[in-house]
Amino acid sequence: MGEPAEQETIVVIDDDYAMRLSCRKILSKMGFRVEAFEEGGQGLEGVAKLKPSLVLVDLKMPGISGMEVVTRIHEARPEIVLVVITGYPTIDTAVGAMQCGAYDFLPKPFSPDELRLVVNRGLEHRRLSLEMRRSEMERALLKRRFITFVSHQLQTPLVAVHQYLDVLKHLDNTESAAAKRQEWLDRCLKRTEELQAIIKDWLSLARIEGESFSRQWVKVDLQRIIADILKTYEEMAAANAVSLESRIPENTYFVRGDRNCLSVVFDNLIVNAIKYNKPGGKVTVSGENLGGEVAIAVADTGVGIPEKYRPLLFEEFFRVEGDENKKTPGTGLGLSICRRIVSEMGGSISVDSEVNVGSTFRVRLLEYRAPAEEEEQEGSSG
Amino acid sequence: MTSEEEKILIVDDDRDFVEAVSSFLEAHHYVVLKAHNGREGLKLAKLEHPDLIMMDIIMNERTEGFFTVQEIRRTAELKRVPIFVLSSLYSQVTDFGIPPDSSWLAHDEFLPKPVNMSELLQKVRRHMEERHREPETAGGRKATT
Repeated sequence: MGEPAEQETIVVIDDDYAMRLSCRKILSKMGFRVEAFEEGGQGLEGVAKLKPSLVLVDLKMPGISGMEVVTRIHEARPEIVLVVITGYPTIDTAVGAMQCGAYDFLPKPFSPDELRLVVNRGLEHRRLSLEMRRSEMERALLKRRFITFVSHQLQTPLVAVHQYLDVLKHLDNTESAAAKRQEWLDRCLKRTEELQAIIKDWLSLARIEGESFSRQWVKVDLQRIIADILKTYEEMAAANAVSLESRIPENTYFVRGDRNCLSVVFDNLIVNAIKYNKPGGKVTVSGENLGGEVAIAVADTGVGIPEKYRPLLFEEFFRVEGDENKKTPGTGLGLSICRRIVSEMGGSISVDSEVNVGSTFRVRLLEYRAPAEEEEQEGSSG
Repeated sequence: MTSEEEKILIVDDDRDFVEAVSSFLEAHHYVVLKAHNGREGLKLAKLEHPDLIMMDIIMNERTEGFFTVQEIRRTAELKRVPIFVLSSLYSQVTDFGIPPDSSWLAHDEFLPKPVNMSELLQKVRRHMEERHREPETAGGRKATT
């Protein structure tokens, strides 16, 4: 955000001299490099050479028509944002231009403010879609190289531990090593714990895929599971200055599933809600009966998740980038485990979030329906 | 013996790895500069003109190291700085369909992680010596007398 972005180029294609001049003036002031062309053919050449971020095209020009220019640019370089300008604004021209690939529409005459607004909106759209595309490519790569990345993930903590031990051995008897020995051994322990956490998560993922999974399903009161988890994390929450609240009453929300797996789901969500919270923040777990379905919401008042990351949130090894997260340990598997478990049980998981306000994860599970013979199970186990 | 003020830049997002390797190099009298992502690394390289750069490949952004190496090579004053690529990717590099010894990356040495410290030191020394033999060094380092 704060770093100086490379100067973006905007191309204006309009046969009207005054128009080109005023666009150039306004947009240059905004910090863009502006190149203007008076005719479609030159414009297309210019665009091919300059690779601008955004092109303003007048629809009505002599020679190649504006619509043709829009079509050709869009076909050759779909990442360029196209805005059409015209003195004859009708719904038809607007729709036509959009169909050819234009992103926005600017009717003549327009004020400098209107131009600025449309340009900013267009560039924002471009940024988002470029980011989206990058994320998608990353996800595709991730899938293809899955095993490679799993091994890499497992190797990273192992390498750190190995390196510490190796260096300790080499620097044996030197002062610098003696001073660091204790600290390094502590780090080694931390990293082996990290490795164990990854393996544990990895095994839970594998277990969910096993066939025997659904045979262990019983009637489960979600209140118990959630109360147990909240109790486990009281200390962690206090250390983070986060308060925990459950609005789940007893004997209200029953689902059919595997108790351990359901614990894993809510454990992950509640830990995340504590970890990604702010000091003085709150975690609230609430429930709702949707008729045939039970919805449990885990809401935090934390850092939130930027919109562009949300589609990838439940992917294996995906972690939101950010300064906060660098400090927060995690395996990148938690939410993908949640999603797998929930979907195996015929439910779904979703997220609502606002940056710096908080996130709410909603788990929907099928409500337990008593099929005559199967009911004694709950209550018997402690 | 190593001459004074030989600077090595390490770019790696694993702080423990950086801590271990840099302590080792410092014990051998090198000055170590540390960066934890490609951007920081590139900035530091341009600013400090290190005599050698050690680079991880898969950092937070999965291909960060690749692009940083390319960017370093595009920078006039850093063109000739030796780059060591240190990565645990080495053992799985066939998954990428690229043999590690071809010119897929403009690096000078490829060391698999975990790095063998004796081998690392030996290679660092060799590259430093070569660099001193060059009549004019790219990074604007003063010629040793």
